[in-house]
Amino acid sequence: MNLLLIIRRAFWLGARDYTAIFTWKTWLTNWFVRVVAQVSFFALIGRMLGDPGQTQFLLVGNAVLLAAMVGMYAVNMVSWERNAGTLPLLAAGPTHPAVVLTARGSYLILDGTLSASGALLVTAHLFGMPLPWPRAAIVIALIAVVAASAYCFGILAGSLLLGFRSIQTIVTNVGLVTLMTLCGVNVPLDFYPEPMRWVASVLPLTNGLVAVRLAVTGQWQAALFPAAWEALVGIGWLTLCLLMVTALVRRGRRHGTLDYAS
Amino acid sequence: MGTVRAGFVLQMRFYRRYPDLLVPLLTAPLYGGIFAMIMRYNGRTDLVGAVSLTPFYMSLWWFALFSGGWIIQTDRWEGTLEYLVSAPADFAAVVFGRVGATMLSGVAAFAETWLFARYVLRGDVAVRHWGVFAGSFALTLFAMAATALLMAATFVLARNAVTFSNSASFPFYVLSGILVPIALLPGWLQPLSEAVFLSWSADLLRASIATGPVPHPVRGMVMIALLGTCALAAGYTVLRRILGQVRRTGELGLR
Repeated sequence: MNLLLIIRRAFWLGARDYTAIFTWKTWLTNWFVRVVAQVSFFALIGRMLGDPGQTQFLLVGNAVLLAAMVGMYAVNMVSWERNAGTLPLLAAGPTHPAVVLTARGSYLILDGTLSASGALLVTAHLFGMPLPWPRAAIVIALIAVVAASAYCFGILAGSLLLGFRSIQTIVTNVGLVTLMTLCGVNVPLDFYPEPMRWVASVLPLTNGLVAVRLAVTGQWQAALFPAAWEALVGIGWLTLCLLMVTALVRRGRRHGTLDYAS
Repeated sequence: MGTVRAGFVLQMRFYRRYPDLLVPLLTAPLYGGIFAMIMRYNGRTDLVGAVSLTPFYMSLWWFALFSGGWIIQTDRWEGTLEYLVSAPADFAAVVFGRVGATMLSGVAAFAETWLFARYVLRGDVAVRHWGVFAGSFALTLFAMAATALLMAATFVLARNAVTFSNSASFPFYVLSGILVPIALLPGWLQPLSEAVFLSWSADLLRASIATGPVPHPVRGMVMIALLGTCALAAGYTVLRRILGQVRRTGELGLR
């Protein structure tokens, strides 16, 4: 079967799964209210400090974090396949299972972009932060890059954790708060010691967030370089993910353990 | 009493078997670190103590929402609810015992948050008003358990309980003023905050570690007790009605 057709079908399959959890109505009244509240929760710190610059810094950082957060939910994707008993079927199919696995959860990139962009636009309005439309369009494109990069990281983490189902929730939650801590979301990167900055530079979100902060202030040309880095980081994690899934399937085939999870 | 104890022990066994139920104990220090880092970066070391206790409330709410709130529904999914309801032991006592165990996790969350704030983040979290602290803390745990019971009962009926639990964290954190005082919220939101027990509790906890007198401590404690009692009464009523209804219609394990 045509590769693009497989990717398209896998994407729609994942999207259909998602619509079983959320309808437009519940997405807007439950999820979207939550993400707007999450950004407001942190932006209010800036208001408490009486510093509009800090309010904007926290608002932008935590809005873009949402794209990474949703992308990171991909950690659960691989284990869902295994729990549903479809992983051995995917491994037996003529298409590489990594293609289906990565395409099936890619709706998370769309969801992450939508959640983060929507939350940014709404909270910017609530907190009086200027974000005119042509600039906002560039910001949304950059947020999509962050969501994609985090998704690649998430699906790699999901593959690594396949045999450790009981700690997946722990890793997802701790991983997200770690991104929040390290990636320049709440304080500038200069605040961290050098080794932490180095670690942050190869994590998703860090470079993309720098690009968004530049774009928000109208420096979109300067934003191109960190945006390209964010994309490269994502590609790097995706490559590792493909290697990991290949090794996982090969080992599962050899030992007959593909459908077993701890 | 034996039934309550059995429910308590059962929930503790769940915690041991499924450590992911205790995930807030791992994220709480990280959140504390983030809030303290923001204050230090902005030169407001005087606020480090107050903000570094915020993760306690985040953990508490998480336990009420995910650990306590899902007690009955998970029994239903596992097909064990029918046995529990038809057993001679009082079903409400089992649920109460299990919810009681989530209160214990709340105590652990406070101990961890306080020790981390005091010895790692070096925040000023010394308790200066012990009476207010002890009273509000005990009432907070009671109100939390009552709220968990209410959630456990209503989640059985709600079709979108999963989406609600995933979405009900930060809106309540904002409303409760656990990090930023309610006075900084828009005026139209402030009356809603008064209906959330956490808002009264957070005010008293902040005041109990601050220098100077605690403003209106009795009113705060009465409000926590009142809101907790309302949640308990509502939870108990909903639980009885649901059980009566599903027994009559034969839908106990079907919904």
